[in-house]
Amino acid sequence: MANLTHGDHGHGPLTPKQLVEEDIRERSYVPELVRGLATTAKYFWKNLIGERDANTNVLEREGTSKVVTVQYPEEKVDYPDGYRGLHRLVPREDGKPRCVACYMCATICPAQCIYIEAAEYDEADENAESRVIEKYPKTFVIDELRCVVCGLCVDACPKDAIRMDTYKHTPSEYNRQGFVYDIPRLLQGPAVTHPSDPWYKRGNSEQPDHQHKEAHTRISAGGSALAPRPAQNLVEVVKFPKQP
Amino acid sequence: MRLGFVFLSAGLILAGGFSIMAVAYAAGGFVEGLGIEKLGMHGLSSLTNIAILMLGGVMVLATLLTMAERKWSALIQNRVGPNRIRIPGINNALFGLPHIAPDVLKMLSKEAFRPKAANKFLFNLAPMLAFGPVFALFAIVPAGPTLVVFGNKVMMSVSSPDFGLLYLFAIASLAVYGTSLAGWSSNNKFALLGGVRASSQMISYEVALGLSLVGMMICFSTVRLAGPGGMAEAQAAYLWGGHINLPGALGALDVGLPQWGIFLQPLGFLLFFAASFAETKRAPFDSPEGESEIVGYFLEYSGMQFGLFMISEFVEVVVLSGVLVTIFFGAWYLPFGNEWLAAQNLHPVIMGGLFGMVFWVKVVILIFLQLLIRWTFPRFRYDQVQNLGWKILLPLGLVNLFVTGALILWDPTLRYLALVGFGVMGFFAFLTLTPPRQVREEAAAAEDHHGGGHGHGGHDDHGDAHALPANIH
Repeated sequence: MANLTHGDHGHGPLTPKQLVEEDIRERSYVPELVRGLATTAKYFWKNLIGERDANTNVLEREGTSKVVTVQYPEEKVDYPDGYRGLHRLVPREDGKPRCVACYMCATICPAQCIYIEAAEYDEADENAESRVIEKYPKTFVIDELRCVVCGLCVDACPKDAIRMDTYKHTPSEYNRQGFVYDIPRLLQGPAVTHPSDPWYKRGNSEQPDHQHKEAHTRISAGGSALAPRPAQNLVEVVKFPKQP
Repeated sequence: MRLGFVFLSAGLILAGGFSIMAVAYAAGGFVEGLGIEKLGMHGLSSLTNIAILMLGGVMVLATLLTMAERKWSALIQNRVGPNRIRIPGINNALFGLPHIAPDVLKMLSKEAFRPKAANKFLFNLAPMLAFGPVFALFAIVPAGPTLVVFGNKVMMSVSSPDFGLLYLFAIASLAVYGTSLAGWSSNNKFALLGGVRASSQMISYEVALGLSLVGMMICFSTVRLAGPGGMAEAQAAYLWGGHINLPGALGALDVGLPQWGIFLQPLGFLLFFAASFAETKRAPFDSPEGESEIVGYFLEYSGMQFGLFMISEFVEVVVLSGVLVTIFFGAWYLPFGNEWLAAQNLHPVIMGGLFGMVFWVKVVILIFLQLLIRWTFPRFRYDQVQNLGWKILLPLGLVNLFVTGALILWDPTLRYLALVGFGVMGFFAFLTLTPPRQVREEAAAAEDHHGGGHGHGGHDDHGDAHALPANIH
């Protein structure tokens, strides 16, 4: 062993070609074959006997088993923040959609998957007294099969009435009609209120007049993109609860 | 606990091996007696051996292997493997075993499509020719000792011809007709190329396959596997052995080094294993097929015709394991205590079950080794396959043959042969455990740099030699 080692001192490290030609270990393949088999067997037994950590973040798994699979329907990886998921129509505090049927989203939609029929609140309605919005969507339909998930509808909406913050992808269905989502299926999630919402302009709003005016002023003052953004709490960010 | 499942599976393998062999002995004894009584014929137990050993043992193992290959390869590659199909009412994947049923159903119910320009007769014949010989190989492999059950002599192989191993070579080389016919009769260029690759590969390994076993033939002076004086029974003897007196009335336990083929002919084992692995056309010798990249000879086959090609591969794995166990790993014998067990005055059915269980456990271990190899080594390129066959295996086989012959002439007790065998194994172990020259030189250079003058040795692998600073030595 010692003789072997001290034999060729003057040379630099061997090139791979020299190594293969000069070393019987490399020429016969045998040591590396045995080591390879040992590695394979080690992983087999480790994964067979080891306890599998079901953490969906595979990089942080700590189980003895090295298996990196996420068993999908049972274990789900959380979608990242800002994931554009299934649409939802944002409800008001009273449960009605915030949508005012302005057709902005339907117009900008490149896939033309949104269909809206507008209707007007009846003046004789018992809510007519507090009527601050004249239009509402009688029909609001999104064909999720046609949707290209570009998010332009969310950007276009002037009333923050449509969002894609459900952190769900469109679930599978047995027929195409199942992918056409109407208001009852779209209207979900926590209600959203903004200080600048029109019903706050009314005298009978629970919010004092001066507070509303102040908020509204601040929003309009920040018109320039370069101006410092107003405080975050101006708009109440209500995140849709992530699915467990 | 996962370990519990492992023990459960091991227990199931043991129980399965024991019960199938106990059934085989009992049925063999019964049918043999029936044959002698009603027909005046001996050897009717061959029929039960066909039914139980070949259909019940080999085919069931091969079917389980289709699943085991997927599941084991998954575990090797840090995956989970198939586990989605559930039996209604049982909310458990059962290790993916239920997947076998839809796999088989799919194979059987798919259309067996035949290209318009294909030769109809040969096209239909090829899958049978690929499957038949492989399946028939197991006929000469004994799965247990010859015992007297219910007053009748029962052999545990379908047949024990005098020309045992020659049958093996003859039938094994027939399988190439199936593959080359499949390639040719499909009337498809790529299938033809695959068939040519397959036939050239199988022909180039045929010689090495035969030569590597000649050493074993002259060791035991026989070509028979089963039966009295066959290779299987010859391996029960000890090279160096003795007896240990057990306490009480347990008798004397025989211990020692059995003259298994692996100890006598480690090089022969490696050569035979490599050559027969090439004959099975499985990775790393799967250049005839290359399912995922290069299309193979069964390109035009579908349905159960393709299924026959596929199952013949798995049957080949089982049969190869059986042959290896019989020739190199002491057949159904334990490494020690065989005489003691045989003297225990057990019922022959139980005795046969125990010995047969040992055989099947060895088979399963060798199957596992084959799957490890299949999922470890990359595929040999076509010229490497030919180089290995003609330039390495064949000369080594010749050298092995002459050395073996000389040693047996020198010492007919086979002890010198075993010593040389241990030398060969030690040489391979030395090669594996010592670092290659590059690593040694780097370590030496580092040592010189630090001015250390200590001795070497103790480098177990690359990692140590690289990671340890020289002053630790």
